[in-house]
Amino acid sequence: MKKVININFQGRVVPIEESAYEELKNYTDSLRRYFAREEGRDEIINDIENRIAELFMERLKNRPGGCITDQDIREIMTSIGRPEDFDGETIETEEGSSYARTAGTSNTSFTEPRGSLYRNESDKVLGGVCSGLANYLKIDPTVVRILFTLITLGGFGSGFLLYIILWIVLPAKSLQQQVRRRLYRNPDEKVIGGVCSGIAAYFNIGVWIPRLIFVAPFLISIIANIFGRHGGPFNDFPDVVFGSFGGTLFVTYLILWIVVPFATSASEKLEMRGEKVDLESIKNTVQEELQGVKGRAEKFSDEFRQKASTFGEEVKDGAQQFASNVAPVARTTGATLGHAIGVLFKAFFLFIAGIIVFALFVALLALVFSGVGIFPLKNFMLDGFWQHAMAWGTLILFLLVPIIAVIIWLVRSITGAKSRNNYLGYIFGTLWTLGWVCMITLAGLISRQFKRVGNVKETIVLAQPSNGKLNIDLGATTGKYYNMMWFDESDDDLPALSADEDSMLLRTVRLRIIKSKDNDYHAYTMKLARGNTPIQAEQTASMINFNVDQNDSIIYLPKGFGISKESKFRNQQVLVVLEVPVGKSVRVDRSIDWYRWFNIDMGRHGINFDVDEDYYNDYSWSSDIWYVMTDKGLERMDGATGDSGAGNNDWNADENEQKGEYRYRKGNDTIDIKIDKKDTTLNIKLSTEARTMESDNDNVETLAVKPRVSKSAVIRHTFIGALDLLKIGR
Amino acid sequence: MNIENTQSQMRKGVLEFCILSIIKRAEAYPSDIIEEMKKANLHILEGTLYPLLTRLKNADLLTYRWVESQSGPPRKYFSLTDKGAAFYKELEATWQELANAVQSITQNGMYQSETANNFNQ
Repeated sequence: MKKVININFQGRVVPIEESAYEELKNYTDSLRRYFAREEGRDEIINDIENRIAELFMERLKNRPGGCITDQDIREIMTSIGRPEDFDGETIETEEGSSYARTAGTSNTSFTEPRGSLYRNESDKVLGGVCSGLANYLKIDPTVVRILFTLITLGGFGSGFLLYIILWIVLPAKSLQQQVRRRLYRNPDEKVIGGVCSGIAAYFNIGVWIPRLIFVAPFLISIIANIFGRHGGPFNDFPDVVFGSFGGTLFVTYLILWIVVPFATSASEKLEMRGEKVDLESIKNTVQEELQGVKGRAEKFSDEFRQKASTFGEEVKDGAQQFASNVAPVARTTGATLGHAIGVLFKAFFLFIAGIIVFALFVALLALVFSGVGIFPLKNFMLDGFWQHAMAWGTLILFLLVPIIAVIIWLVRSITGAKSRNNYLGYIFGTLWTLGWVCMITLAGLISRQFKRVGNVKETIVLAQPSNGKLNIDLGATTGKYYNMMWFDESDDDLPALSADEDSMLLRTVRLRIIKSKDNDYHAYTMKLARGNTPIQAEQTASMINFNVDQNDSIIYLPKGFGISKESKFRNQQVLVVLEVPVGKSVRVDRSIDWYRWFNIDMGRHGINFDVDEDYYNDYSWSSDIWYVMTDKGLERMDGATGDSGAGNNDWNADENEQKGEYRYRKGNDTIDIKIDKKDTTLNIKLSTEARTMESDNDNVETLAVKPRVSKSAVIRHTFIGALDLLKIGR
Repeated sequence: MNIENTQSQMRKGVLEFCILSIIKRAEAYPSDIIEEMKKANLHILEGTLYPLLTRLKNADLLTYRWVESQSGPPRKYFSLTDKGAAFYKELEATWQELANAVQSITQNGMYQSETANNFNQ
C-alpha cells in the first residue's frame, strides 16, 4: 500500500507515489548541486526536468489512471544518468562499458598520499590554493579559506602575498575532495537556527558543548549585571551585545545562521555527520565538471591539432627527433611564464580592489567604534525621546548594518555559498537607508540645540594681594574624575571627563590676562553656552558653576565645571578674565595648562555681551613665569628675551579700532604684522640680517614657509599665535 | 596514468564533434541525438547531453526553437548557427588531420612509404 500524491511538475499535474516523489526530489537536488557552479545552471536543470516531465507524460498515457512509481523514477534516472555517472562515462561503447563503469571513481582521484601539494583546479575561488592546501591537510577547504582571510586582515596583507606566491609556484591539478564532512545547520535539533547542533555534528561532539559556549558569555554578563548593578540587564544592552567576547560569538552565530545552509536532503544530512554518502562521488564529480566538458574537449583537440601539425612539419624538415624533444619543453616553459604573468596581473587588480574594500571597511569600523565610544555621552547630548530613538537608529542601522553586510558578503564569497536569499540585500539596503534618515534627522535635531550663543558675566570679588603679586593655580580636585572614553590614548585630548553617569566635568576654560584700568586686580568670568534660542543658551550658561577661591596671593581656579544630565552638553565654556594693574606682577602655574583652550566663536549671531574696551588688549604669556604689567603689556621679570624660543613681543593695539601692530623681535630678526580694521588683510614684514620680505596681500602661508630663516619654526609659531589673536580680535 | 582516464578523454574529445555533426544534418531534438548516437554504438546520457547543448548554445554555436509536442511539454529543437557551421568545419578538418596522423602512426611499418610524403596535402 502506497500513498499517492499530486505534484505540479514543470506546469503539469503529476500523480506520483510518495516514496517515488522523495526519490525524485533527491535526484533533482543532486543535479542542482552537481551543476551548482555551471553557468547555464537553471537552463540545464529546466531542460532535464522538462525531459523528465515528458517521460512522465509518456508513461501516464500508457496506463490511464495510474501514477508514477518508484520503478519509473529508477528507469528515468538510469536513462538520464545520475550525477556520478556523468563524468568519465560520457560515452560508452558496447565493449567499453565494463571499464567505463569504474572510470567515474578512478578518473579524478589521485591516490597519491600526502607529500604532493597542488592548487586544486576543480574547487577554487581564486586560484585554488586554499582547497589545494585543504586537500593536502585533509581538512575542509572552508576552514583554510577563513584562516587565509584572517591572516590577510590581521597580518597586513601577508596572507595575500603568501597566496600569490603559492598561486605562482604550485602546479594546478584536479584533486579529489578528501573530506566528505561539511558544515550544515541541523534542522532536526534546533533551538534558534540549528547552528550549534550543526557544529556538534561536524565535530562529532555533544550538542550541549557548542550551545554552552555560545550562551555562557551572555549568562555571565547578565548575571553580573543583575548582581553587580542595580539597573536591570536591559539598560546595559550594548554592554552585553558589544562586550568583546559575547559580542564576537553573537555576531559569529548570526553570520553562521545566514551563511551556513540547512541540511535538507538525506545526503546532506549524511554529509553533515561525515558518513558515507549514497551518491558517493557527487563531490568528486562536481570537481571534474567545474572545468567544463567543453573546455577540456577544446583543449584536447587543440593539443592534438598542435601536435599533429608539429608532427607534420617535423616530417617535412626531417628533423623529427630534435623538434619533438624541444617543442614540448618550449611550450610548457612558455605556458608557465604566461601563467605567472597572468596571475600577477590578476593579483595586482585584486590587490587594488582589496585595498579599496579594506579601506572602506576600516573606515566603517572606525565610525562604529567612535560611535560606540561617544555613546556614554549621549545622556548629555540628547534631549527627548526622538533624539534618543534617532541615536539608536543611527548606531544600529547606519553603522552596524553595513558592517554585518560586508562580513556576510566576505564569508559568502569565501565559502562559495550561493546566495539563496536575494531578499537579504534588499533588507540591508532598506535598513541602511533608514539609518541615513536617522542620522540626518539626528544631526538636524542636535544642531538646532547649538544654534544660538548665550553668555553670562559674573564678577569675581578679589582681595588685593598684600605683596602685589598674584599667582594663578589650579584648585585641588574634588572627587575622583576618570576618563569617560574607552580609548586610553585619547586621554589628554578630550575636553570632558566623567564623574559618574549623571554628571560630566568640562575643562573648556580659557584664561585671559589684560591691563587693569585702575590700580587694583580685577577678575570676572564669562560663561558661554549654546542653545536653540538665545534665552535658552543664556539659561544653560547661567547653570555653569565655576567657583574661584583666593588665598591671599594665590587664586585657585577649579579643575573644570560640571554639567549634569539635566543641563546637557551645549558647548559650555568659561572665559576667566584677569585684570592686572600696571606695575604689579602675575604668574600662571603650569597646572593651568590642564584646561582645553578654545576659540571664542563670534559667528554670525555674534557674541552679545558688552565689549569692554580692554577686551582686545590681551597679552600672551607662558606658564610658570613671573610677568610684570607695564604700559606696553606683560614683560618677563627674569629678563630673558629669547632663551627658550620666546622673543620680545610688542602688541600695539589701537583700542576699539580693532587694528594694531604685532612685532616679534629676536636679535636682529623681526617680524611685523599689521592688522587693518577695514579689510581682512594681514601685512607682514620679515626682516632678517640677510634680507627683508614683505607681503603685499594676504598670502600669509606661503610667506610663512618660504623664508629660509633659521628660526622658521619659531616664526611659524608666532604666526599661528598672531592669527589666533586676530580671530579673537575681529 | 591509467587506461580508463585516457580512454574517457579520447571519447570526450570527439563528443562535441559528433553532436554537431548530427545537428548539422537536420534540426534535432535531444532524444533524437541520443537515439542516433546509440545506433552508432556511442552511448551518452541525457544528463551529459543537456549541459553540453546549453554550453554550445551559450557559445552561439547552436540555436533552438520550441516545438509543441503531443506527448508532453514543448520540445527544444536545436540547429546550427553560422558560427556553429564554421566551428564544425574546423573540427572536421582537425578530425581528418588527427585521424590521418593516428592512422599513419599506429600503422607505421605498413604504410610509411606511401603515406609519409603526401601526409600534409
